Amino acid sequence: MNVRVLVKYWRTVLTVAEMTMRQQMTDGFIVFTVLFQPIIIAVLGLWMLGDKGADAAMFVVVGSGLTGLWSSLLFISGGSINSERWSGTLESLVAIPTPFEVVVFGKNLANVLQSLVSMVVGYFIAAFAFGYSLNIQEPLLFFVSVLIAVVAFISFGLIIAPIFVMNPGVRAWQNAMEFPVYVFCGFLFPIALLPGWTTPISYILPPYWAAVALHGTSTGGASLDQTLISWGMMLFFSVIDLFIASRLFKLMLYKARADATLGME
Amino acid sequence: MKTFNNNLRLFWQGALLSYIALFHWMRPIQYMASKILMPLAQMFFFVYLGTYATGSQNAAYYIVGNALQIAAVSGIYGMTMSIGGDRDNGTLAYIFGTPANRLVVFMGRAFMNIMDGSLGVVIAFMWGVLLMGLDLSHTNIPALALIILVTTISTCGLGLLLGCLALITVNVMFVNNFVYFLLLIFSGANVQMDKMPAWVQFVSNGLPLTRGISAARLLVQGASFAEILPLLLGEVVIGIVYGVLGYLLFAAFEVIAKRRGTLEVF
Repeated sequence: MNVRVLVKYWRTVLTVAEMTMRQQMTDGFIVFTVLFQPIIIAVLGLWMLGDKGADAAMFVVVGSGLTGLWSSLLFISGGSINSERWSGTLESLVAIPTPFEVVVFGKNLANVLQSLVSMVVGYFIAAFAFGYSLNIQEPLLFFVSVLIAVVAFISFGLIIAPIFVMNPGVRAWQNAMEFPVYVFCGFLFPIALLPGWTTPISYILPPYWAAVALHGTSTGGASLDQTLISWGMMLFFSVIDLFIASRLFKLMLYKARADATLGME
Repeated sequence: MKTFNNNLRLFWQGALLSYIALFHWMRPIQYMASKILMPLAQMFFFVYLGTYATGSQNAAYYIVGNALQIAAVSGIYGMTMSIGGDRDNGTLAYIFGTPANRLVVFMGRAFMNIMDGSLGVVIAFMWGVLLMGLDLSHTNIPALALIILVTTISTCGLGLLLGCLALITVNVMFVNNFVYFLLLIFSGANVQMDKMPAWVQFVSNGLPLTRGISAARLLVQGASFAEILPLLLGEVVIGIVYGVLGYLLFAAFEVIAKRRGTLEVF
């Protein structure tokens, strides 16, 4: 794959992301999921953890943003292929020369970026409505953590979408999959509170490593080594996710063409 | 007598069929996931968050609050979908075209959600006892059962009101989600109301669940039925107010939709 092709794909990703954002701004369900739900969780968390000081407030701001990232990945990215199906545009998207996964990558990018807005809003709520003096302890490391987390979340989302398409039964479990990830990934409390047997489950979830990196760099609670390990784990899982996703997309499109069910759920 | 029998039949058929319609697309295992796994995961999340915030000695406070909060799953989502589903599926025009008693139709939508919601809360309490160490040894169980039933009914009252909004908006999931998540704060399931700003306490007092959760917590601490009776009656009144408002709105929307010809306009 040469650079020209990559640039072309990148343009597609950006165009799809822009279009997705514009389209989703009018959808009440999506606006709630990426913006209002994390903000409500942030406000609730700030009230609950209010006695623990500014570090806890920063923990809540970052953690509530992560809940928005996961929920948007689960509900919006998970349904990104089906939404094209319902709009009658799936056939056209599959037929164009650009690989379909590049298009879905752009949609996931839009979802993840939109969700990050809730983190910013949560920050301002904590600062102005609750009066906390919030400082990101390691701004540069935090920024890099955000970038790597975005890649990790998008890659994870690329697996979820085809799985939901090929297994409508799994999609019905969406509602039940939201809060367990909040719990196992330590978005709003340390996983040390959980029973020891759940720790391996946390370790195999990319959002957990995103939480470690973002919490650690924002509160200064993690050493550089811990941050580097969490970056490494996010990148490692991203590579694995992208590899699995490429296989899943091939399988999904083959099945859809073979069974003539591309436009049918 | 004949009218009474007809209305009873209408109530029961409406209750049963609307409930079947709500879940018919699910396999039993998926239904179980939505009724058991989702509430359990939500409870775990808020109980762990609460104990992280205030210490493990307060676990019961969060377990009871979040167990009763499960009533809102059926009360809010179930109710709005039961009522709004008629519009989505194109059956609303037929309902409004029949001479059926509107109150019976309206209440029929609530009945199975009340039963289902109460069962959900009982299951949540069961998880609380089995997995989270909730101690019910000092609890007046029949009184707790009554609290569960009354709180679910009052939450369904709010759901009836929201369900009417589903008749005039396509963004009903936004409204549902918003109210459901706000209840996590304003019902007092996760925060101590006496430590909240005055405006939060004011809003909280006008919502279902608030008094039910307080009463359930008192019962778990060993309070008698007489001690929680005022809270129970308050919850009943709140439920009636929302239910009546919902019914009036339902009746008003029928008239407006017929006059404007917007019964199924999205």
